[in-house]
Amino acid sequence: MQVVFGVQKIFNLACGSFYALGAYVGVSAVGWYAAAGGPPALFIVPLALAGLAVGAVGVVIERGLLSFVYERDETFQLLLTFAVVLMMEDAIRLTWGTAPRSTAGLYLAYGQTQLLGATVPVYNLVVIAASLAIALAIGWLLTRTTFGRIVRATADNREMAAALGVDLRRVYAKVFTLGTALGTLGGALVIPATAAMSEMGIELIVEAFAVVVIGGLGSMRGAFVGALVVGILRSFAISIYPELEMLLIYLIVIAVLVLRPRGLFGGAGV
Amino acid sequence: MLTVHEIDVFIQASHILRRVSLEVGAREVVCLVGRNGAGKSTTLRTIMGYLRPRSGRVELRGQPIQGRRTHEIAALGLGWAPEDSGIFTDLTVAENIEIATWTRRGGRPAAERLDLAYGVFPVLRRYMTRKGPEMSGGERKMLSIARALALDPEMLLLDEPFEGLSPTIIPSVSDGIAQITRLGHAVLLAESNIHHVPEYTTRLYVIERGEIVFAGTLDDAWRDATVLRIIGGTR
Repeated sequence: MQVVFGVQKIFNLACGSFYALGAYVGVSAVGWYAAAGGPPALFIVPLALAGLAVGAVGVVIERGLLSFVYERDETFQLLLTFAVVLMMEDAIRLTWGTAPRSTAGLYLAYGQTQLLGATVPVYNLVVIAASLAIALAIGWLLTRTTFGRIVRATADNREMAAALGVDLRRVYAKVFTLGTALGTLGGALVIPATAAMSEMGIELIVEAFAVVVIGGLGSMRGAFVGALVVGILRSFAISIYPELEMLLIYLIVIAVLVLRPRGLFGGAGV
Repeated sequence: MLTVHEIDVFIQASHILRRVSLEVGAREVVCLVGRNGAGKSTTLRTIMGYLRPRSGRVELRGQPIQGRRTHEIAALGLGWAPEDSGIFTDLTVAENIEIATWTRRGGRPAAERLDLAYGVFPVLRRYMTRKGPEMSGGERKMLSIARALALDPEMLLLDEPFEGLSPTIIPSVSDGIAQITRLGHAVLLAESNIHHVPEYTTRLYVIERGEIVFAGTLDDAWRDATVLRIIGGTR
């Protein structure tokens, strides 16, 4: 989300929907995989592949809808992407029904392990490792490759990038598709640990906005710290007084907006 | 090489350029001189495709380019150095210059184009690993021009390359531009002060309130009372 916003300067609420979509497609893919008799130990392969493949809807949405509002006011972008959120939510209900869906039993297919005195499903460690690998890969892509440098230049000054021969539409389409694929992949990967629900998209958006506001728009470091703050606060609140969970996050968001409107790591250039 | 023929440009409802025409031949250095807000930047930005003329034509080598997208115009051989330099502050000096060689392939090999760019402003070689925010205004202008040159364009559009520079750094920027013209590139340069117009200028246009009010040589301009009243400035 940070990368996409930074490059396109467009507010995209739909990222939460992509996350939900990835989750549902992941559930179905694993269902088919199990029905076809694939070995349970490898279920993460169809899960990840399904997550990535459904990222292709990003191309359709970017070309078909978003490319018309790049020059418009941010309000239009918010409205349009919110419309996408609502439509996707209904599309998901139509396809998969309203009841939560889960990948029964696969969560513990890799067993559990002892870590610092606590019992942790191995799958959680797999997901953490995968997230780290993805973060490193994105970092490498942005800083070490020609494409990444062009993306950063475009985020910095798109008029100038165009004058140096960068085809903005192609860069936007590629970045948006990449962002969508990461969202759907993320949705697919968390699904064994929870259940797919049609509201999960909106829930994620709220949380992601909290992360982004706390961290500062367009800053990867800020996003990381923001995510840590939100995650720690939530578990802290749940263990002390569960009703406070979301309230506490909103309080922090309000405090950050009042005291540091650009977020903890937001630069002046955003 | 480049012909601008009677373009009218509006920004929202305001009529910014009125039937502006100008011409830049191969290897020529042409200056567009006018006060701030007279329409210099608007003229250059229209040529680069950021703005669309409501009427009139912009032609590059006889081919109409008005209404085409900016990256296509760049690929046709126009290099652009904007007034604010447009440095990618997140990238190093070397990456800023190299971008042009990744996006426009063909023509001369990349290494040769980079040598050309650094050859014009050798001081940039010392800062290759530095990033934008650590550079002075003069260094940014040089980087911006060198980067446009790395695109291997036939013609450069320079928007106020001397604006805001200290008098001590102006000669090195000016020498760099002279060298670029000797390499065979045409240059269209916007400037607000006639004292900064280089002596090697082939032709000079004066723009006032969106209209071209004078076209001629630098010597003629110095003898024209109206021109001096508009852009004489003070030394």
